[in-house]
Amino acid sequence: MTSIIKVQTLTGSDGETPHCHLLQVDECRFLLDAGWDENFNLNYLRDVRKHVNQIDAVLLTFPDQAHLGALPYLFGKCGLSCAVYATVPVYKMGQMFLYDQYQSRHNTEDFNVFSLDDVDSAFDKIVQLKYNQSVALKGRGQGLTITPLAAGHMIGGTMWKIVKDGEEDILYAPDFNHKKERHLNGCDLEHVARPSLMITDAYNATYAPARRRQRDEQLMTTILQTLRGGGHVLVAIDTAGRMLELAHMLDQLWRNKESGLMAYSLALLNNVSYNVVEFAKSQIEWMSDKLMRSFEGARNNPFQFKHLKLFHSLSEVNRIRGPKVVLASSPDLECGFARELFTQWCTSAKNHVILTARTSVGTLARDLMTNKKKKTLSLQVKQRVRLEGAELEEYQRRELEAKRAKAAALAGDIDSSDESDTDEAPLATDGQVEHDLTLANGKPNPLFFKSSKRQHAVFPHIEERVKYDDYGELIRPGEFAVAEEEVKPEPVKEEAEPADQEMQDLSTVPSKCLAYYRTFTVAAGVTYIDFEGRTDGESLYRILEQLRPRRLVLLRGTDEVVQPLAARFAQVAEKVLIPRAGHPVDATTESHIYQVRLRDSLVSSLTFSKGKDAEVAWLDGVVVMATDQRPSDVTAPTDDAAMETDDAEEAIPTLELLPAEKAPRHSTVFINELRLSDFKQALVRLGIASEFSGGVLWCCNGTVALRRQEQGHITIEGCLSDDFFRIRELLYGQYAIV
Amino acid sequence: MASAAEELDQLMIRPLGAGQEVGRSCIMLEFKGKKIMLDCGIHPGLSGMDALPFVDMINAEEIDLLLVSHFHLDHCGSLPWFLQKTTFKGRCFMTHATKAIYRWLLADYIKVSNIATEQMLYTEADLEATMDKIETINFHEEKDVRGVKFWAYHAGHVLGAAMFMIEMAGVKILYTGDFSRQEDRHLMVAEMPTVHPDVLIIESTYGTHVHEKREDRENRFTGVVHDIVSRGGRCLIPVFALGRAQELQLILDEYWMGHPELHDIPIYYASSLAKKCMAVYQTYVNAMNERIRRQIAVNNPFVFKHIQNLKGIDHFDDVGPCVIMASPGMMQSGLSRELFESWCTDPKNGVIVAGYCVEGTLAKHLLSEPDEVNTMSGQKLPLKMSVDYISFSAHTDYAQTSDFIRQLKPPHIVLVHGEQNVMSRLKDALLREYADDPSRGPVQIHNPRNTVAVSLPFRGEKVAKVMGGLAVEPPADGRVLSGVLVKRNFNYHLLSPDELGKYTDMTQSQVSQRLSVHFSGSPQLLQYILSSLSADFETTKGKYQWRLFRAVTVTLDGKTAILEWVASPGGDMLADAVLAAVLKAETTRVDAPTRPAKFDRMHYKECLIETLQEMFGDEAVPKFFKGEKFHVTCGGRRADIDLTDMSVTCEEDEVFRSAVLTAVTKLYQSLSPATLSRND
Repeated sequence: MTSIIKVQTLTGSDGETPHCHLLQVDECRFLLDAGWDENFNLNYLRDVRKHVNQIDAVLLTFPDQAHLGALPYLFGKCGLSCAVYATVPVYKMGQMFLYDQYQSRHNTEDFNVFSLDDVDSAFDKIVQLKYNQSVALKGRGQGLTITPLAAGHMIGGTMWKIVKDGEEDILYAPDFNHKKERHLNGCDLEHVARPSLMITDAYNATYAPARRRQRDEQLMTTILQTLRGGGHVLVAIDTAGRMLELAHMLDQLWRNKESGLMAYSLALLNNVSYNVVEFAKSQIEWMSDKLMRSFEGARNNPFQFKHLKLFHSLSEVNRIRGPKVVLASSPDLECGFARELFTQWCTSAKNHVILTARTSVGTLARDLMTNKKKKTLSLQVKQRVRLEGAELEEYQRRELEAKRAKAAALAGDIDSSDESDTDEAPLATDGQVEHDLTLANGKPNPLFFKSSKRQHAVFPHIEERVKYDDYGELIRPGEFAVAEEEVKPEPVKEEAEPADQEMQDLSTVPSKCLAYYRTFTVAAGVTYIDFEGRTDGESLYRILEQLRPRRLVLLRGTDEVVQPLAARFAQVAEKVLIPRAGHPVDATTESHIYQVRLRDSLVSSLTFSKGKDAEVAWLDGVVVMATDQRPSDVTAPTDDAAMETDDAEEAIPTLELLPAEKAPRHSTVFINELRLSDFKQALVRLGIASEFSGGVLWCCNGTVALRRQEQGHITIEGCLSDDFFRIRELLYGQYAIV
Repeated sequence: MASAAEELDQLMIRPLGAGQEVGRSCIMLEFKGKKIMLDCGIHPGLSGMDALPFVDMINAEEIDLLLVSHFHLDHCGSLPWFLQKTTFKGRCFMTHATKAIYRWLLADYIKVSNIATEQMLYTEADLEATMDKIETINFHEEKDVRGVKFWAYHAGHVLGAAMFMIEMAGVKILYTGDFSRQEDRHLMVAEMPTVHPDVLIIESTYGTHVHEKREDRENRFTGVVHDIVSRGGRCLIPVFALGRAQELQLILDEYWMGHPELHDIPIYYASSLAKKCMAVYQTYVNAMNERIRRQIAVNNPFVFKHIQNLKGIDHFDDVGPCVIMASPGMMQSGLSRELFESWCTDPKNGVIVAGYCVEGTLAKHLLSEPDEVNTMSGQKLPLKMSVDYISFSAHTDYAQTSDFIRQLKPPHIVLVHGEQNVMSRLKDALLREYADDPSRGPVQIHNPRNTVAVSLPFRGEKVAKVMGGLAVEPPADGRVLSGVLVKRNFNYHLLSPDELGKYTDMTQSQVSQRLSVHFSGSPQLLQYILSSLSADFETTKGKYQWRLFRAVTVTLDGKTAILEWVASPGGDMLADAVLAAVLKAETTRVDAPTRPAKFDRMHYKECLIETLQEMFGDEAVPKFFKGEKFHVTCGGRRADIDLTDMSVTCEEDEVFRSAVLTAVTKLYQSLSPATLSRND
């Protein structure tokens, strides 16, 4: 019954590489997360590509780039095709992360690592689960059950419990957070009782962040000072994970009348902000108990923001007057609105940039964090600009040719779909555009453009809303004016926001991408305030001590971080393994298990005594290799589970009662780990005086002493007296004695 | 501490409400000492304590778990009373949406019933206090409460409605609550569980009735509404505030959208409760069907464009055609009744009864097409307005029920939540259907009355997992297994005691004891007495310290004797014996031991001969013998005794032999110091 378990890290475990690991349990291979770094470095995926064909299932933990960034690439470009398991919020928010990532890149450069279709096709493979929903795998994973458990950190964040045949339980828990936060509960360790293998990361093993209160104060004062000084605050934050925590917190801050923040603007800027907030609103059941209670009690949705305004483009934000706080993605300042705002604002000393996470080495945010002194930066500025003049003509000519070629091809094959990827073909010509025909022609409006415009399925038609007041339909004097001349229809402009047009411009108008280097003098203040929301080093030690995993695999983390941790748990765990890039570690253990059926006569002869959370009894039995198969309709438990495996399963031996005189003698076993303080409580309840002195518990006026010698060894001392025997009786009561 | 109840193989299902009736759903499950209550509703037709389920049949304290299927009053109406006013100590679960709506629905119920009855079952404060006691469960999430595993499936019916699958000791029970397998505009259909339950507890509200198709009934509904308003009439739709009302709103809003000519006809919805709960509907879209979930990405379908909320009748200007949805759904009283009475005399107006109506209410009365109706004030009014009945009730019908059962193949079915006649018709119909189906296997259908228990036998089989050191060798016939059996939540594991810490979070410990006794006698005497107590007697040189039975150490330190041993039942007993010996030594005033501390073999022989003479007569035993062998003769039979190995042989008579042997060994044991076999 020994299972072969191997863990291999595919992106390199040392340091700060993204999460992407391979777990093999017997035949079945899991890809644990499919993370990628901020800049889509293909080197990281070299090893992953090698294993693509072997992977049976992908388990995702968090919705961010570092945990599922490579998913579209693996599905779209590497031919991965297997089931992916994730919780509902990881599915939704993960999609948002990737859409935002794609759009941010696409706005400024020709991005072709993956397309939006790749994202969609990868996400179509995701099986959406709830916390504690067990899934029994089929095929090569027969006998394996996976269960997502709450991990904190981000909404829907997961620790995966993988159980083999109900015995070997593996816990994959990277980047979890044990602390309760504003919008999330801490990780759920209740459902984990001593895993046989725990796979976690050591990234934070020596990290001690500031206290939450202190951190919040720092954020608050930084924001206030900057705003009062007339500057802007840029908060670089992710798309849909930690952003929710910060957005919720800031909105609450703004609501507080005494904070004096009401006068300033608070903005959330990313490509999918509307959708992210809508999804967040409908996922209250995944959030903290406190938020849920307040929703049940007062029906106020925590993500119904009062002050935080949602934006989807830079120009919208720039139009806000006065000092403002902008939460923009991405946290690494490598791309997206955060980078654009940074380049705009960093040269003014009034402004302030707040970084919220330690991103990978080489990213701009990390650079700013480590080199605080450095004041001049040479940055690559990327832009997408409209084509003009000769370039435009050239482009149009090529487009036309392509179209003709296509038309020619189509003529030959009418059946083939004509809706292919020429979505960016410009139909709009110069001059007045009355209707946005491109929408009808191109592919459907992608989700992430928040558009208040109606969509017209066939041809433009503006429905007129009939408005009423107390006196009936509103009278429009214009309608009653005597028509003197043909009124020229006014261009319908009311709803077409300029911002929308700009967005349209970027995606529909022929454009090209520019990249050039510019030197910036960073005058703005740059502060790193930790909003990562992950377990700190000290707590990691404590949690591991509490869980006491039998084997421990430590991922991510440099030698100096991992080694002390490994040394500390060398005694607690049977094995501590530190996988290095490309080398699988073997976490197999010898485990012997078989099942026996217990005869009723045997069970009724047992005397159970109560242990910690289970009942225990001493059992003496003799194995009988039963051949008498009972009629299966009486055995209720062999139901569906058995239906599949019944044939394969050999007969379970039966354990019969061993006659008392034949039973071998056994020494008495005391089960429980008694804490003297608990015992003192028990004594107090019975009205027996006792006190601690020098680690010894003195009872009954010091006539009886209890001492804890070592792990699981208690000494009771006293002179011959009734008290001695009474205390002893009580002490025995604390144990399950078999 | 295995109680007798735990070993019983009977699963008891006892409806305390909703047994051959509709209303106050409350079903008790008992199996293996676990008690589970399903729903805790109130009877809408009764008031005060009479409306409660028969909870005096049970001891609330013993209930481990209470599951609430959905927010309708007949399923959760007595919950605040039960949680606050009884000794219930177990845990209570419902889905997130149910909990959010429960709070507002019951607050509304309290307000309404406040006027009606003095004997209030609970107050708003009680309701508020229950919110902390109710835990939430997500659909498909598995929970485990004291070994009872359960999870929820979507049930259709209303937002947040759940079917619970409960697993106890391997037996699975599915409780459907109210469910519907017909998809409507916002709710998903009841899911088909992937595991087969052993017992199915199913609602039977509509019995053998078959619903009309959704499209037909929607068309009929919108057609009737359209007719009424276009002839210039007012259309009254009495509805229950939550549940079906939202469905009707979605239909009407969509219909209005497609018919611009109706835009000047207002639709009102008069329910402050529904307004309060709209936020819940707008939030828990994940519990709704695919259509709504897709739509939410674009805009929220529960933000209606053509439906206005009406705060009360005072805010309503009755000036022309309109559509108004008002509660209560059966027009017992309240706004819907008021509107009905003021409109019923005009043939242009119309009323549409859209839900299930209970006997004795005005809505039910209307369906018999009377010429006159009584007003609340007692007058008679001619009924001229049109009356239509279009059932939008999201309960399963016969087609859905029988299909559901055919797919699940449960061996036992328990019918609840249905009028007596309807229920027995359903039972007969189902039995007829399955009687013709030999592939199906035997099926038992029960329709218990309130408080009558159905008892189903389940032979729970106990399978233990042998782990660790004990399992190194594969099982073979006749192999003896000894170890600690750990029982947790119906799971059994057999382990060797040293590996307890490895596989469980229990640890093995040791208790050692040290008992001091005042001793003023002489050490020699003590040594002598101790040495005659135990054959396993070791002395530590240079000290007054002895170890007896290889278990108890006695140390003499000045005037104190200290006994040390490791606790165990046997050890404690030996320690008691040693303690008695020490006390004896204390009280015996002999200056020095007179006899050697060794076992006197000659003395034993003398005694043995005396004993045998007593038993068989003086002649039977030789007066004198040498060495270790002699014989006893009695009645012509001779038994040879060999004292070297304490054996007795007698060919002729076994009874005689054993009598002699007993004498030999018993006498030896009583004279020699005790020895213990050492596997203890």
